[in-house]
Amino acid sequence: MKHTPGWQAIEQWLGAKGLAPFAFQEEAWEHYLQGRSGLVNAPTGFGKTFSLFLGSVIRWINEHPKDYRSRTGNGLRLMWITPLRALAKDIGRAMEEALGELHVPWAVGIRSGDTPLSVREKQKRNMPEVLIITPESLHILIAQKEYPRRFEHLETIVADEWHELLGSKRGVMTELGISRLRGLRTDLRIWGISATIGNLDEALDVLLGNLPGERVIVRADVRKAIEVESILPDEIEKYPWAGHMGLRLLHKVIPVIMESNTTLLFTNTRGQSEIWYHQILRECPELAGAIALHHGSIDAALRIWVEEALHTGILKLVVCTSSLDLGVDFRPVDTVIQVGSPKGVARFLQRAGRSGHRPDAVSRIWFLPTHSLELVEAAALKDAMAENLIESRMPVVLAYDVLLQYLMTLGVSEGFNAEEIKNEVLSTFCFREMTEEEWNWSLSFLVSGGEALQVYDEYHKLHLVGDRYYCTSKQQAMRHRLHIGTIVSDAMLKVRYLAGGYVGVIEEYFISRLTPGDSFRLSGHNLEFVMIKDMTVLVRKSKSKKSIVPSWNGGRMPLSANLGKMLRRKFHEAMSGQANEPEITILQPLFELQQLLSHIPRENELLMEQIQTEDGYHLFVYPFEGRLVHEVMAMLLAWRISQRHPITFSIAMNDYGFELLSDQPIPVDDSNADELFSPDNLTVDLQSSVNATEMARRKFRDIAVIAGLVFQGYPGKSKANRHLQSSASLLFKVFEDYDAQNILVRQAYNEAFFYQMEEARLRETLERIRNGNIVITFPQRLTPFCFPIKVDSLREELTSEKLEDRIKKMTLWQ
Amino acid sequence: MEDIRYEIKGGHWRLSAGKAVYWEEERALIVADLHVGKAAHFRKAGIGVPANIVQEDLYRLQQLITKYNPDRLIVVGDMFHSSANNEVQYFQIWRNQFPHIRFELVTGNHDIMDPEVYASLGIDLMESLQVGGMYFVHDPKDKLLDNGETYAVSGHIHPGVWMVGYGKQRLRLPCFYFGPEGAILPAFSVFTGLYSLEPAADAAVFVIGGNGIFKV
Repeated sequence: MKHTPGWQAIEQWLGAKGLAPFAFQEEAWEHYLQGRSGLVNAPTGFGKTFSLFLGSVIRWINEHPKDYRSRTGNGLRLMWITPLRALAKDIGRAMEEALGELHVPWAVGIRSGDTPLSVREKQKRNMPEVLIITPESLHILIAQKEYPRRFEHLETIVADEWHELLGSKRGVMTELGISRLRGLRTDLRIWGISATIGNLDEALDVLLGNLPGERVIVRADVRKAIEVESILPDEIEKYPWAGHMGLRLLHKVIPVIMESNTTLLFTNTRGQSEIWYHQILRECPELAGAIALHHGSIDAALRIWVEEALHTGILKLVVCTSSLDLGVDFRPVDTVIQVGSPKGVARFLQRAGRSGHRPDAVSRIWFLPTHSLELVEAAALKDAMAENLIESRMPVVLAYDVLLQYLMTLGVSEGFNAEEIKNEVLSTFCFREMTEEEWNWSLSFLVSGGEALQVYDEYHKLHLVGDRYYCTSKQQAMRHRLHIGTIVSDAMLKVRYLAGGYVGVIEEYFISRLTPGDSFRLSGHNLEFVMIKDMTVLVRKSKSKKSIVPSWNGGRMPLSANLGKMLRRKFHEAMSGQANEPEITILQPLFELQQLLSHIPRENELLMEQIQTEDGYHLFVYPFEGRLVHEVMAMLLAWRISQRHPITFSIAMNDYGFELLSDQPIPVDDSNADELFSPDNLTVDLQSSVNATEMARRKFRDIAVIAGLVFQGYPGKSKANRHLQSSASLLFKVFEDYDAQNILVRQAYNEAFFYQMEEARLRETLERIRNGNIVITFPQRLTPFCFPIKVDSLREELTSEKLEDRIKKMTLWQ
Repeated sequence: MEDIRYEIKGGHWRLSAGKAVYWEEERALIVADLHVGKAAHFRKAGIGVPANIVQEDLYRLQQLITKYNPDRLIVVGDMFHSSANNEVQYFQIWRNQFPHIRFELVTGNHDIMDPEVYASLGIDLMESLQVGGMYFVHDPKDKLLDNGETYAVSGHIHPGVWMVGYGKQRLRLPCFYFGPEGAILPAFSVFTGLYSLEPAADAAVFVIGGNGIFKV
């Protein structure tokens, strides 16, 4: 292979620059040229793009050694799927540069929601050789007439940052899109690029589905040195037991920022970032102009400006959220600060890697705890990183909402043959276990609305014409095209100044709670709410000292299983006095107070605290297993208690434990504790407990939007369709009551339950509890352990009381 | 379906957990926001909501009619959800069971069909209706001629309230609302959402939970 003209051309080109290919790049080219498919495992900044892109170029030169410098208009050869629109431009630029220097006159096109209509039209007539595209835009292409013609010459698909797509419904969209392209082009090579995750083999299987032939994983084997430092409070006794802001440590952050070249300060929510930005400016007004804010609700143009400014190094500090997790490297960045727990090892590593980007540089990250116990997480993170315990990304399976959307996508363009598409769908990882019955239901849901046809029914979506299913309604087809995608957000409204000028976007529900004259903070500006007009929030600058910061939804991430395990170990070390990390030793006074008020559980103990307060009767349980396991465990325990006599629980949890709160004493004591935590009958009890709660209703929201049941309307047309508006929770109610067999309702239960946790993990926890001791204490006041859980306002509910009986005990909220 | 007696402006009303009022003196059954045809409207647009919702709603209305045996049915707006569709035909057949009952519709913002359609269904249309001291109008905001003597009865907003209890318990329930300005009836159809009211201190509120109705 190394002697082929293509390979030679690449080597000469690199050699002229005094460079040589990395070993993993050569390995990837070799496999690619041999016709294999696979996955390249490499971090950002090490030439991962070229490991696959150049393979495709080598092949082209090899196939056309004489005239590759002159051949143009060759049709689409390489499709590059990227999760982030912002990445497309930079990747495209790098590819174009290489192609120019290699004298290969290929065109590189970008296709995303931002691509202008004129460019799209041009692409329609003449596809570029390389197309960089998001999963959504791929489906939009498939939703157009004559789409198969555009892929006639396609040879290669690359899914970049595959670890980001895997584990989300965008990943499922990618799988389905690839299955269609495989149906059109039988000899496709399919490659992914992924950062290190715990389940790389599975990631490869998800991407390739049942693609025949050899598949390989190419590893770049680059390890980065990472240094973690915690920002410790001076007096732990005065540091809050609960909270998520961390501003009390602001004075310790300022010197770090000042001593650094450029700093990224990561917060977990957009609301947090707004407040940090504001407070830092207040503390150091001299930073004005050198400090910026970057999160998902900020005007895209402004975000792009911030990214460019990061490249050029004119910014001293950017306060950001996960919006800057991904993306190209910002070389000037030399310091990263993480406010609050990052909730996962992979995310922490990714953020740490945003600094010190040269391969040999050390990445430095500061951890700032927002409440005292969070320091234990810092210690746990360090250990997990040392042991390279990177999380797995669980792939989404049997996502019928995405399938329904996809079938409709095919219906609005070329129509589809049911048997052919069924086999393609079955070839994906996501749907490989789909039954005949479930396929038939999905199809009939689109054809007849999911029920036996009734005389009065006028349901229309897909029609069978010959042996193909089509959508014949132009209106529905248009609506569908506008709704392709799986990212569901709250209804967002644009925010504009009265005098003109776009500020950003904001959730409708936040604005709905404001009255004109109220001030709020967005994009770092203090704004006064004037009115809502034409789906736009009109504002003017506010001078008010008091302004509200929107508490955006969805900021709460669960602790990963890996970090949970480490955390438990750290607690045990701390409690047995074995720890000597600064994060743990500083917490000693807190542990002493916990011991005084209640108890510190040993490795083989499960601690439960029963406390009565003015809120009611609390039962706190501390398995230290992470939020997800606690959520399900709390449901299970609540369900089992509620089967003994009618009782209602309000349930809260964090990564350390969970709380059951009731208006009556909770009947748990030494005599029944073992039984309540028994692993026996686990499966049945879990199923029942999840059905008894609100969890599924929450999951249904996204499902309903993706499957096209909730019509969100679109700009300018919102009025004409007002009779089609309904909320997902209302739909869930009517489906549950009148169409319980609906697969989408079942999917909601499955998502609430099966994805949330592996039953095996819960069983293991319960076995561990069975083999240990349960310690029940009755503290006279709240303990350091229970406090952060108790103040949590995000709560689940589970009840076995009759609705009528509950109402009789309640009073009207006024 | 339980009911509760409630005396208002000298009239004897029975508030039913079936989301309807029976006015004894007038022998009138009063409901709001039936939204007949809503599921069909969604389904016609390709949104596959269950098709049997209208049967459920009309069956419950039938039970209420059988129980109270009224002479007239007053609908305080949004009897039909949108333009005519096949569910409206189903309604016609259902309506023919009660030729002796007068159907009066105080039109709401959703009642957009041609007047002839209503006529063919045996429904009298009106923008508002005064019966004794009561003034029926769909949207509480549209109470026009207020000489201080009539009490407005409306629907439109699909009222609900939050109930709270010890142990951080919360429940949101549909309700009948009798405030100083007027009364608001719960939405009749099961295919309707709830709007959370903030009740005035001197309002009488009755919440509906399951088959029960409770003064709170």
